[in-house]
Amino acid sequence: MSQILAGGKPFLYQGGSGIGVLLIHGWTSTPQEVHDLGRHLAEQGLTVLGLRLPGHATRPADLNRMRWRDWLAAVEDGYSLLNDACEQVVAMGLSLGGALALLLACSRPVAGVVAMATPYEVPTQPGLRWLRPLLLTLRPISGVLRYVPKPSVNDYKDQQAYRDHLSYRVFPIRSVLEVGGLLELLREQLSGLRAPLLLLHAIEDRGVSPDHARSIYAQVGSTDKELVWIENSGHVITVEPARRRVYDLATSFVNRITGRVR
Amino acid sequence: MKTLMPGGEPFFFPGDSDVGCLLIHGFTGAPEEMRWMGEYLAKQGITSLGVRLFGHATQPADMNRARSRDWLASVEDGYHLLRNQVAKMIMVGLSTGGALSILMARDFPVAGVVVMSTPAWFPEQLVRKLRPVIPLISKVWRFASQDGESDWHDKEAEKIQVHYPVFPVRATAELSDLLDEMRGTLDQVTVPALLIYARGDGTIPPESGQVMYDGLGSADKELLWLTESGHNIPRDASRQQAFEATAAFIRRVAA
Repeated sequence: MSQILAGGKPFLYQGGSGIGVLLIHGWTSTPQEVHDLGRHLAEQGLTVLGLRLPGHATRPADLNRMRWRDWLAAVEDGYSLLNDACEQVVAMGLSLGGALALLLACSRPVAGVVAMATPYEVPTQPGLRWLRPLLLTLRPISGVLRYVPKPSVNDYKDQQAYRDHLSYRVFPIRSVLEVGGLLELLREQLSGLRAPLLLLHAIEDRGVSPDHARSIYAQVGSTDKELVWIENSGHVITVEPARRRVYDLATSFVNRITGRVR
Repeated sequence: MKTLMPGGEPFFFPGDSDVGCLLIHGFTGAPEEMRWMGEYLAKQGITSLGVRLFGHATQPADMNRARSRDWLASVEDGYHLLRNQVAKMIMVGLSTGGALSILMARDFPVAGVVVMSTPAWFPEQLVRKLRPVIPLISKVWRFASQDGESDWHDKEAEKIQVHYPVFPVRATAELSDLLDEMRGTLDQVTVPALLIYARGDGTIPPESGQVMYDGLGSADKELLWLTESGHNIPRDASRQQAFEATAAFIRRVAA
């Protein structure tokens, strides 16, 4: 019996360029949401590793058992595997994965970071807004109320992409605290980050508002930093109609910071 | 900040053949246990990927949150990463890693398994008897001491081993379950198997080697006994013998 959901498996494509890209998916989601981006980067000759975060792509109860330390450790795992096979590593992530990519870059030598749709704090958008005042009481609550259903409204421009997107249908409540803890660590460490940074964010993101990207851009210590707004997309910019633009921007950034001649 | 202990990093050594092996460390251990073997196999052209099991090589408290399915998922992650790189895959595991190798051979297409020092049962009878109440007990008694008499032959290698200094109590229940499941599955495993055990193993009853050998459904199976080694076969004095036997096995079954 497989523990990992079909379609949610991690992946590794080896390229010949000596440059590795670590791809990190978002909270309650799976490697599937960054898989097409990974294929695109691999076609450019890059080695690409799309990891699975602990508690994801299995069952929601597993996610409630995980702590942010486990996610960070998994990202360090992926970095070590890529670093053994490549000369340079670029960290890339979506949403919570973007926060993890930024944190990795604070503790390991990476050539650069691409943070997509990345939150700066626990989002307050519709669907999650009610959570904010509850955060302090969440620990006792999560012993009783373990999950809440995700809202059926979504910000996808492509509803087929929404239907194809593999993720848990619920928010595991205890895990929200861990997202909060991880983002707190991110806010502490962001000013120490020096690696080149590309921030990509949908201007119409209703899950994590554009203000989050503005805050990260303002706080980060990197001097080589750029924030590019993505049109015609909701939160999950890697699967939306604008995805080609996201893939091209990410590829150009990797080529530039790694000094790769194409 | 870094979450992994030094030596806790998983490893990936691409080889130049279409054969790969997944290397799986033991309970409270770290990828470092398998690294020398991975380096040796990679030099033989075999792509080697050493996984880190969930809750390991960070801090012991993390391991008490682990369930046996998390460890299976860690191994599956490694399997999926390696799968695109090679045509044939061998599972190689030490102790708990060997039990996970056998469960992988039941669930996924692999060309063979190499099992080192895997106990047929959880070695402490007390844990097996108390299994139903361990989740409760472990709320107060979280860590058991790991001091027993050393069975290492290579004292220098012992000094540099990377592992937790304690047994996380809640996790022992998970390991006990995992070993029960493995034992129940042995006869369903029919791929070629190499079993390597140490006569002087002080961590598990060495008779496990014969129990495992007898239980496996494989027609092509071999049991190799080492004399200059304790439990930690890929690190201890007989390691070279284990490396060579493993490489020969892989060349034969993946040919």
